[in-house]
Amino acid sequence: MARSPRSPARLIVALAVAGVLAVFLVYTALAGTSTPQVAPSQLAAQKPGKLSVVGAVVGPLKGDSHSAGGLRFGLRDIGAKGPIVPVVYRGDSPPPLFAVGRHVVVNGRYANGQLLGNGILTKCPSKYTASTSKSY
Amino acid sequence: MADLGRAALVVSLGLAFYALAAGGYAAYTGRRRLATSARNALFACFGSTLVAAAVLAVALARKDFSFVYVATHTNRTLPTVYALSAFWGGQEGSLLLWLLVLTGYGALAVALNRRLLRDLVAWVVPVFGGIATFFAFVLVAVASPFDTQTAPVDGAGLTPSLQNPYMVAHPPMLYLGYVGLSVPFAFAAGALLSGRTDERWIVATRRWTLAAWMFLGFGQLLGAHWAYVEVGWGGYYAWDPVENAALMPWLAATAFLHSVMIQERKGMLKVWNMVLVALAFELSLFGTFLTRSGVVNSIHSFSKSPIGGWFLSFVVISSLFSLVVILWRLPLLKARTRLESALSREAAFLYNNLLLVALSLTVLWGVLFPIVTQLVKGETRTMGRPYYDFFLRSFGLPLLLLMGIGPLIAWRKTSARSLVRTLTWPLAAALVAGVALVAAGAGSSTPGLIAYTFSAFVLATIVVELVRGTRATGSLTTLIARNRRRYGGYVVHAAVVLLAIGIAGSSAYQTTREQRLVPGQSTEVAGYRLTYDRTDPIRNDPNRTGRYAVLNVSGRWNGTLRTGQVTYTGFQETDEDVGIKTDWLRAQDLYVIANFDRGSQAVFFKILVKPLVNLIWLAGIVFVLGSLIALWPDAREQRRLVTRLAPAHA
Repeated sequence: MARSPRSPARLIVALAVAGVLAVFLVYTALAGTSTPQVAPSQLAAQKPGKLSVVGAVVGPLKGDSHSAGGLRFGLRDIGAKGPIVPVVYRGDSPPPLFAVGRHVVVNGRYANGQLLGNGILTKCPSKYTASTSKSY
Repeated sequence: MADLGRAALVVSLGLAFYALAAGGYAAYTGRRRLATSARNALFACFGSTLVAAAVLAVALARKDFSFVYVATHTNRTLPTVYALSAFWGGQEGSLLLWLLVLTGYGALAVALNRRLLRDLVAWVVPVFGGIATFFAFVLVAVASPFDTQTAPVDGAGLTPSLQNPYMVAHPPMLYLGYVGLSVPFAFAAGALLSGRTDERWIVATRRWTLAAWMFLGFGQLLGAHWAYVEVGWGGYYAWDPVENAALMPWLAATAFLHSVMIQERKGMLKVWNMVLVALAFELSLFGTFLTRSGVVNSIHSFSKSPIGGWFLSFVVISSLFSLVVILWRLPLLKARTRLESALSREAAFLYNNLLLVALSLTVLWGVLFPIVTQLVKGETRTMGRPYYDFFLRSFGLPLLLLMGIGPLIAWRKTSARSLVRTLTWPLAAALVAGVALVAAGAGSSTPGLIAYTFSAFVLATIVVELVRGTRATGSLTTLIARNRRRYGGYVVHAAVVLLAIGIAGSSAYQTTREQRLVPGQSTEVAGYRLTYDRTDPIRNDPNRTGRYAVLNVSGRWNGTLRTGQVTYTGFQETDEDVGIKTDWLRAQDLYVIANFDRGSQAVFFKILVKPLVNLIWLAGIVFVLGSLIALWPDAREQRRLVTRLAPAHA
């Protein structure tokens, strides 16, 4: 009795899944580097290396990100009265929304008790939120 | 008035629960009158939700600050259009909009199909009832927009950067998309519960899915354009969890829209389609959970709220429900035919589906990664832009290629030789485009070059199809009118090509320079010479303070560009007012951001030249046009489907 030809659907799906897994493996082997994300209060316990820190900007803002001394400010846990970590940021101008009190993500390295930043993201007001500067 | 709103929501909750419980019992026992009653409860639920929505809209228009919601999201000076847009500006209003659209969609979809698909619709009503019960419960018990207080003198107002026409349209577009995905989900669940797993539920919901997909896609592009012109960082998509929350269900819905064609035509992929519908619906809910729960960090300022846990519970329950009914009905979901060849249109659709789902799940993995690492390793780790870019290229470029191959390859099977013969012209066009691009210097970015070459290939296949079809029918309009779905799809493909060209051009071939200038100094970037002329402070404006840097531009364009920083009265944030000059001939932008140096006259200018970026926005218009062509009622297609599905109706 002649056998009916087998559908290649399963083979295709299996190959596709294998392909996706292979791409994953290649990525994680060659390029995949995730970055630890911590709050300022957790920095002291971090190992040396790249990281990103989520916190609220504490003034005063001193210096300039383009100069050798960099832009200097502090970073504290969002919504908490935790320790203030000094930040020295060097690189392109910080984003326009960057200001004291703003929630930011600073990318960089932690060394000798200070965060050496090379990139800043500010939280974007992309949802209608109430102003905190007004009282009623 | 708030009492009326609260009462209307309680009525909505009662009616939705009745549609769930009575509808489910009626469908199970076959009681027709009870089923009709449950159906009417769903219609009435829309009515009572409409009353609640009207109460909130009136309160916003009147700026009635005795409503906590109104006082939190508007103030006296806010223009009425933005006061009304605060309806979807806050969490409680967004949820009310969700319930309104859900019950409206549900009532309309059920009303339109109640005679044709009576047995199936009997089960669709309790599914809609279940979803509506969840939203009405959250609105009544967890996050009510009708909480009141002693009216303050003024409200808190709306962040200035959100007082933008894009932000009026962007959120409701996304909601129309998210909620629209509940229609195919409800009908798929109804088909499984009723045991009517033929193609009727797909035919009944195809346009609903297409409309939801169009709204979701266009809504994302509106958000991207707002970020580009208003936020002032020079980009339009940051792979942030909040942005990804809209992208994931859109990708799953894109896969579904393609795979239903295989089920309609060949009776294949029935299980897969059920899984895709459930995946798209669950991802739309999961996105809301992500943005509201605060479990992942986002650059978007969404407030943490207790509804995150409720949403997660609902996602878990509805996912389990989907899984159980699909497994229960597996014997009814057997394919009518089998895939005959790996070189066929069916196979091309399958590859397309696998790539889309892989991309969607890869994005999901990136979003979940911080949570997983926190649970497993006790530390939060995030995936950055390189991760997403890598997978966008890995899955997106083959998808682009398939978009060209799929429409030209034969159904059932074809030979490699025949395929090459069919693709001769598109391949030649791609080759010529590739060589020309290398000669023009586009070889500096390999992914960009591949994207452009593949784009040329896809555009050539669309042209070949249109020319071939026009020759056969005599005119292009007749051709499109005779098969709106197919040619609407081609127009959408053209939009995706424009999008790909725009993204590749503006990212792979972008020129960026940051330069400190004092008045009188100049810099040159990509053929533009920019001279910093002066600083103009904002004067005599009670609402704004700040200053603008004025640049004289020569070279590729001659004129003046202003860019500055503005602080609005009563708000702490400083907004960047970017200077953008669009060159429509090249579809490129000269984009300048000013950062004023403290204590000197100098300004740090970040200058970006973004080639082809405007094709991304043009793609949005073409995308909507193609979607509308595909959505437009097509009598011929309906007749074809009725003929094909006649045995199922019997």
